[in-house]
Amino acid sequence: MSFDPNYLYAQWPALLNGLGMTVLVSVIALIASVVIGIIGAACRVLRIPVLSQLVVGYVELIRNTPILVQLFFIFYGLPSIGVQFSLFWSGVVCLSVWAGAYQVENIRGGLSTVEHGMREAAISLRLSTRQYLRLVALPIAFRSSLPALVNTSVSMLKNSSYLQAIGLAELTYVAVDRIATDFRALEMFAAIGVIYVSLVVLLSLAAQRLEHRLHRPFRT
Amino acid sequence: MDLILKNWVYIASGLGMTLKIALVTLLCSTLISAVLGVLATVRNRFVRGVIYLYTELFRAIPLIVNVFFIYFALPLFGVQLPPFLAVSLGLTLWGSANGIEIVRGGILSVAEHQWRSAWALGLRPWEIYWFVIVPQSMRAIVPSYTGLVTLLIQATSLGALVGVSEFLKTAQIVIERTTIMQGTNPAFVVYGVVLLVYFVICSVFTWLSRYLERRLNSDRVRPVTSTESIAS
Repeated sequence: MSFDPNYLYAQWPALLNGLGMTVLVSVIALIASVVIGIIGAACRVLRIPVLSQLVVGYVELIRNTPILVQLFFIFYGLPSIGVQFSLFWSGVVCLSVWAGAYQVENIRGGLSTVEHGMREAAISLRLSTRQYLRLVALPIAFRSSLPALVNTSVSMLKNSSYLQAIGLAELTYVAVDRIATDFRALEMFAAIGVIYVSLVVLLSLAAQRLEHRLHRPFRT
Repeated sequence: MDLILKNWVYIASGLGMTLKIALVTLLCSTLISAVLGVLATVRNRFVRGVIYLYTELFRAIPLIVNVFFIYFALPLFGVQLPPFLAVSLGLTLWGSANGIEIVRGGILSVAEHQWRSAWALGLRPWEIYWFVIVPQSMRAIVPSYTGLVTLLIQATSLGALVGVSEFLKTAQIVIERTTIMQGTNPAFVVYGVVLLVYFVICSVFTWLSRYLERRLNSDRVRPVTSTESIAS
């Protein structure tokens, strides 16, 4: 079977739609997962009684189960107890919950790099715990956990391809759907392979620039 | 629960298939990772370049795309793999790409002077690897590798998407059957049980990893990291 660039050209709009969906889902889930991560890490670091244990359970559960089963549980399982999300939001919830578990650990790891003296200084300045976290600890922690945050985000971007299993029209779904009708597997796989690799590279480059910028105050 | 008990033979067969995929994948990717991981630290630029390309490519492309490619696109080249082999091959390629990086990092984590002293003692290259480098690199390799093992076990669930009757697939079929025959939808319970079983299997490896890590570091005074002092 020969490679036909004209076919790819004709299918370009469809692929672009899929790419748009992949990016949209990933961006929303990225923001949500970082929020989950910050809240979860705060619960653990502040040792809030019940919440802290719940966060540990959540992180362990997500990290030790396949994302595909989590996805089916959310999309097919939850409706039978009355919790129903649309196709799109099921995807977003699944990715956010999955990545959130990893972000909790990433941000907690980052917080552990904040020196203990900072806490003492904050106390002596009469900052409240919340002020300490918001103004001192989190900004410092964010810098040191950025590489880990990016790693998890890249994994999440790639994992958005699992959403094709419930029929969300993201990039992989579009490609497999086209292959089922036109049998031009080679072109489609080449296209989405290139697109995914470019997305990952772009995200990594953006992260590098951000890291560079965040370290500006520390350069001499 | 009644449903699970009634269908347990069928579900157990799915679980068996899951373990079979996991075992084949783990054996193959461990072997490839060990060999190519060591090769990735040699001086030859060409060898290193080829291995680098391999690991970067398979780590950047989503696993599911990788498996679909093997299942849907390889037949165009006249290679039609049955679903079981397609999944195993896809997971092996992905797992070994990650494994190579872990092994490579582990070997590079061994201090330079260890090489020089071993060399000065007149050990042969394979002896240096086997008696000096490998035991020390295990400290860095074991925690990451057990993490990869749990990810590979989880990834076997991809088999359901290309039609291997593994654990997730059998669970889906039980749900469909029940819905058709009894009109009830047991998805919540069945997927809940599937999650629980995966959780137990993978937790075993997580515990094993922590145990091994402690044993490997038992001769060292373990530094109390601030993570542990802040929150347990």
